[in-house]
Amino acid sequence: MLQLWLRQPSGVARSLLRSQSRLLYTPKLRTHPHNLTRVASLPPVRYLHNSIQKSQEHIPLRQQLKRESKSLKSRKKQRREDEEASRRKWELTVGIEIHAQLNIESKLFSRAATSTSELPNTNVALFDLAFPGSQPEFQVATLLPALRAAIALNCDIQPVSRFDRKHYFYQDQPAGYQITQYYEPFARNGHVDLFDYDGIAAEDGDKVRIDIKQIQLEQDTAKSTEYPPSTQLIDFNRVSHPLIEIITMPQIHTPATAAACVRKIQAILQSCSAVTTGMELGGLRADVNVSVRQRDEAPGSHQYDGVRGLGQRTEIKNLSSFKAVEDAIIAEKNRQIGILESGGVVEGETRGWTIGSTETRKLRDKEGAVDYRYMPDPDIPPLIIGKDLLAALEDTLPTSPDKLVELLVGPEYRLPIEDAKPLIELNDGARLEYYQDVVDIVRSLQGRDPKLNTDLGRTVGNWVLHELGALLTKEEIDWEPELVPAQSLAEIIDQLQQKRITGPTAKVVLSMVLNGDKRPVQQLLEEENLLLRPLSREEYIALAESAISQNPQMVEQIRSKNQLGKLGWFVGQMMRTGEKGRVEAQKANEILQELIMQK
Amino acid sequence: MSLLREAERCLSNQKLYSTLNAFITPLQGSAPTLDCVRDADLRRDKGKPKSNADGRLISIKDNICTRDFSTTCASEILKEFSSPFNATVVEQLENAGAIVAGKTNLDEFGMGSHSVHSRFGPVRNLRRGRNGESLSAGGSSGGAAVAVASGQCYAALGTDTGGSVRLPAAYTGTVGFKPSYGLVSRWGVVAYSNSLDTVGVLGKDTCSVRDVFAILNQHDPRDPTSISPSSRSRILSHVNSPRLASRMTSSPLKVGVPVEYNISELSPSVRRAWHLSLAHLQSQGHIIHPVSLPATKLALSAYYILAPAEASSNLAKYDGVRYGTRAECLNGDDEVEKYLYAGTRGKGFGPEVERRILLGTFSLSAAAVDNYFIQAQRVRRLVQCDFDAIFKAEQPLSSHAALSSRREMGQGDVDVLVFPTVPFSPPQLSSLVNADSKTSPLDAYMNDVFTVPASLAGLPAISVPVTAPSDGQGSDDECLTGIQIVGQYGDDELVLKVGELLEGKKFI
Repeated sequence: MLQLWLRQPSGVARSLLRSQSRLLYTPKLRTHPHNLTRVASLPPVRYLHNSIQKSQEHIPLRQQLKRESKSLKSRKKQRREDEEASRRKWELTVGIEIHAQLNIESKLFSRAATSTSELPNTNVALFDLAFPGSQPEFQVATLLPALRAAIALNCDIQPVSRFDRKHYFYQDQPAGYQITQYYEPFARNGHVDLFDYDGIAAEDGDKVRIDIKQIQLEQDTAKSTEYPPSTQLIDFNRVSHPLIEIITMPQIHTPATAAACVRKIQAILQSCSAVTTGMELGGLRADVNVSVRQRDEAPGSHQYDGVRGLGQRTEIKNLSSFKAVEDAIIAEKNRQIGILESGGVVEGETRGWTIGSTETRKLRDKEGAVDYRYMPDPDIPPLIIGKDLLAALEDTLPTSPDKLVELLVGPEYRLPIEDAKPLIELNDGARLEYYQDVVDIVRSLQGRDPKLNTDLGRTVGNWVLHELGALLTKEEIDWEPELVPAQSLAEIIDQLQQKRITGPTAKVVLSMVLNGDKRPVQQLLEEENLLLRPLSREEYIALAESAISQNPQMVEQIRSKNQLGKLGWFVGQMMRTGEKGRVEAQKANEILQELIMQK
Repeated sequence: MSLLREAERCLSNQKLYSTLNAFITPLQGSAPTLDCVRDADLRRDKGKPKSNADGRLISIKDNICTRDFSTTCASEILKEFSSPFNATVVEQLENAGAIVAGKTNLDEFGMGSHSVHSRFGPVRNLRRGRNGESLSAGGSSGGAAVAVASGQCYAALGTDTGGSVRLPAAYTGTVGFKPSYGLVSRWGVVAYSNSLDTVGVLGKDTCSVRDVFAILNQHDPRDPTSISPSSRSRILSHVNSPRLASRMTSSPLKVGVPVEYNISELSPSVRRAWHLSLAHLQSQGHIIHPVSLPATKLALSAYYILAPAEASSNLAKYDGVRYGTRAECLNGDDEVEKYLYAGTRGKGFGPEVERRILLGTFSLSAAAVDNYFIQAQRVRRLVQCDFDAIFKAEQPLSSHAALSSRREMGQGDVDVLVFPTVPFSPPQLSSLVNADSKTSPLDAYMNDVFTVPASLAGLPAISVPVTAPSDGQGSDDECLTGIQIVGQYGDDELVLKVGELLEGKKFI
């Protein structure tokens, strides 16, 4: 069911689609190739589609699909085995640097406003252009989202931090240096916990903790737009947009976990409103450093951030999606292993990655490495952060996604993890609020001890995500809380739970409300004559016998082989032949059992 | 003399002395200027002048931004640059009724000790050598000093990074004052070395310098290194405390004489002027007391690491992309054309600026930063500690921890230090500008040996002209020199007061 609502076109859903792409490898989904072909951008799907077109033999579709799926499975198995063999021999080590644009209206060192959509070069102060005689003016407000991020990532906030200049010449860098925090960053020693549901690699078990070395505040650069062959236009609006750079320790050992880590950090940053946009809109960029070493050999001679025994690392710059993070690491790992296995030496260099490619490419080699000549900025005083400010921010920080997951899968809501995650991530948390509203209203309608209705959380989750999601997909509209008011959905679920309507009726009513029926649910049910009038036992028996008489062989099979599962077919028959909305599946099942099994 | 007469005299001197090359941009068209001065005269007659500088012509060093005059920093790369805004100090002067008397010549971006490294040619001292040869005006605010000395303006704003106001004052016989770091705004002052750059004032006498300083001595929120109002009141209540306030009244001062400054290279006439100045102070009832500033020997080297390091960073912005002069593409030179502004930077900076950018780039590079930049910062701290140890007054802005450790070490008891501004007499200009001359850049750096320590420590320092008699041997009759008074941080008034005691003294 998951893929249905994943196909929603909204931005958040899109990012979620990426974030869930690993799920597409699970067997359950692979058995529904038709649905998958609609999610066209994913490689395994594209592969399936192409193969079907190429096939010239006349083979029944069903058989063909089976064959394809089998060969895909075997290829995947082969690849997994190759991967596993290489993994046993080689240890991969990855560290990540994430640059995130902070959610704040002012630039870091000038009074100009931040802007992403305004006319080029309209929000630019003298200092942003590095005019002679201009000086930086630190904007205190930019600290708020930065501190929220650092708190959410469990960092020690430093009472004193400082700004440094990082020098390099480039036309998008008007001063010839970027102001950052190199020697004394404002946050250190954080961590992010990744769970199996975050999509970490199987080898990492249920949970892995990635330490965060530091977070630093820094300026963004200008935006260059290339007009080949020789023109570059520069928009200085982006200069000095506040960024944080989050640096993890080199503690990640699989590509999947690296992608999960970036995804999780983005989710955490979004949950505390530290950033406005995610990777899909360029609000977040990641650099990864990758090294490999042979497990059974002596430890490597390199050390990074105090982690010793590693191999020579390379850095891959400017990755702009979770998939790019994973793919680029796989490609770089394989490239390094290839070099080492053929007796070569990995060079410490900076490499790039183009989406859709299979190899990283060299940007500049070690000799061309930039010496950034870090120097404390002599104009900017130290940043002193008081405990009172931290306490106030900690008190007002929204609940973390991990805590929300814990709550939703806990005894109060009992949601499956696959439902809890999207509820939290969809619509920037609005979907979760909506879910909570529906649960609360149903509870108040039922006026009972919530402990008695232990399935309510799960049921509402199903309706909010899957039933409503499927309808939205069909109608091709984006979810908004007003489309189906929480009150209406709660009443529908309540009626269903009270057995006053059947499941199919509930879906019909939901669709009517979605399509603009403004009548209160109760009134709608009455006027449309949709309330369940229970069938009598005799009516059930009549329906059941009519169904049985149409297919006596199957009855025989059920009886002889005790194939109770096949009763469902008869239930379906009864629902179809009976008066619409009156046949309750459970009762039909009971009657059928009685008639078939006890005769 | 009326303000109008004085202004007219300044304007005619600007024409008369144009060959001294003190101005890059002199005043154009006297009529509007003189109208302003007439208004100021009226205000003065009514007893309601805007300030003591109302109606005065004050020149601005050409590395301080002005909207109405170009701001070239004496550099090829900014030769046509016009700033879209006024520096805070320019605004303050104009609000006080002063009139900008033009933009004065300097060493490119303030880097130099003789005002010869200018795209617009060297500044000439009004004073001449015995045989009429041109002498160095000192630098880098040489244009400002010569403009004051030759009466082309009433007073001048310069900048002092390692002595750039005091040294030319000493060479030209004017008063040059560098206030405590952070008192005067740097917004609009083109950065050479931010942690050292200080706007200074040059004038014929201490009185005019004090008047101009009073206008500039205010907090500016646009300069992040400007001392905040609360710190200013801390400084004030500190210097007004009973123990320190008496220094400004009649009681005798304890004048420190750093023994390390009596170097063998000191020219005999300068040593004589120093000696006679101390004798004069003693005759006035003040106490002369030898002190030791051991880190001084390292100060010059530390300065020539730190200032170029910051300069290499600050000057990275000049690329010809957003403003400034852009070099034409060099045909056939592919290596250079590959980089957008390699040509512009290669052509736009003079040799001394280029030298300091390279020095700074080296001392900040990963392999050198610990041994050079970081080490020099340590020396800088030692120099500060040296001063703190000998002054009676504490550094009013230092932390409580620093103060208590100082108390354990025992307090100094000196009120001010008095020593020469520069060890030499002004050299001949020809020896500096001729390509075949034997002087190396290091010789020029030596001029800063007595001015750099106060810059590293951010202390107030003034150079006042003093004339010593000839020794009668006939070999050395250049006896006008500068004597420097240095005080504890925040003791700007005390430094000005002692300057007044010595200024213009002729010990015949």
